[in-house]
Amino acid sequence: MELIIGGAFQGKTAYVKENFVISDEDIFVCEKDSAPEFDKKCIAHIERFSYWCVEHGFEPAEYLFEHAENLQDKIIVSDDISCGVVPINKTERAWREANGRLLIKLSKESKHVTRIFCGLSQRLK
Amino acid sequence: MRIFISGGAKNGKSMFAQECAKKLAKEDHLWYLATMEPRDDEDLARVARHRNERAGWGFKTAEWGRNIALHSDEIDCRGTYLVDSVTALLSNEMFVGMAGDINKAAPQKVAAELLDFSEKAENVVFVSDNIHCDAAFYDEWTDSYRAGLAFVDRALAEKCDVVAEFSCGQIIFYKGAELI
Repeated sequence: MELIIGGAFQGKTAYVKENFVISDEDIFVCEKDSAPEFDKKCIAHIERFSYWCVEHGFEPAEYLFEHAENLQDKIIVSDDISCGVVPINKTERAWREANGRLLIKLSKESKHVTRIFCGLSQRLK
Repeated sequence: MRIFISGGAKNGKSMFAQECAKKLAKEDHLWYLATMEPRDDEDLARVARHRNERAGWGFKTAEWGRNIALHSDEIDCRGTYLVDSVTALLSNEMFVGMAGDINKAAPQKVAAELLDFSEKAENVVFVSDNIHCDAAFYDEWTDSYRAGLAFVDRALAEKCDVVAEFSCGQIIFYKGAELI
């Protein structure tokens, strides 16, 4: 598994496409108001999947590992939502923490963890 | 030499940027390019604080809050410029006129003008801000600005010789560490 993280709009998708030679058809973009699919090579905006989980009473890490096959072959991309002010909204607070737990788990399982900053990469693992 | 520095607020970016500019500058060709256009007493106090912090460093100040390209005749081609900040410049260019108006072409304009400027000066140190790592849903207006700033940051980072992020006073290099 490859985990790619970074702030919003930093060029994570462009990095994935260039470095793993994949196209838009290989990328599933999660949405916070619909159930995810895990059959594509790359799962992008997994932080939105985390939001969907929180709203539906699931723990993202548990849900993902139960429902996704061949996770070890996937490229997973998440916005870093861990900084900034603690959200005043209860769901958003739970979301921020659930996504953090998910990323720690994914980071442990990943072969590489890469952080993108202004389009440039940094290898964290 | 072109240097790009970003990071969260109060992490040591400005002081490092000043030190870099001072080291790179030849004789008295040291410039502080102030981009913030003060709008209230809080802004004026911030300007005064920054001026105090730079006192004695030998910076001359250029106050260009927008339309950098219009100043191309004034650029000191032997100059080392500290551009503080990309964030304020984009804000001036993007939010014009009535509240709620957005100039969506501003990020492309700012990126092109700053890169052009950086080719005319001897050295440029850009300071920007990392406003992209929080858990919040913004209105379209704010999110356009966040995306716009990231666009300018990526364009500058691609061309700069040195790219670094600051975190609690520590520097994280993305490229060019050997040049500093």
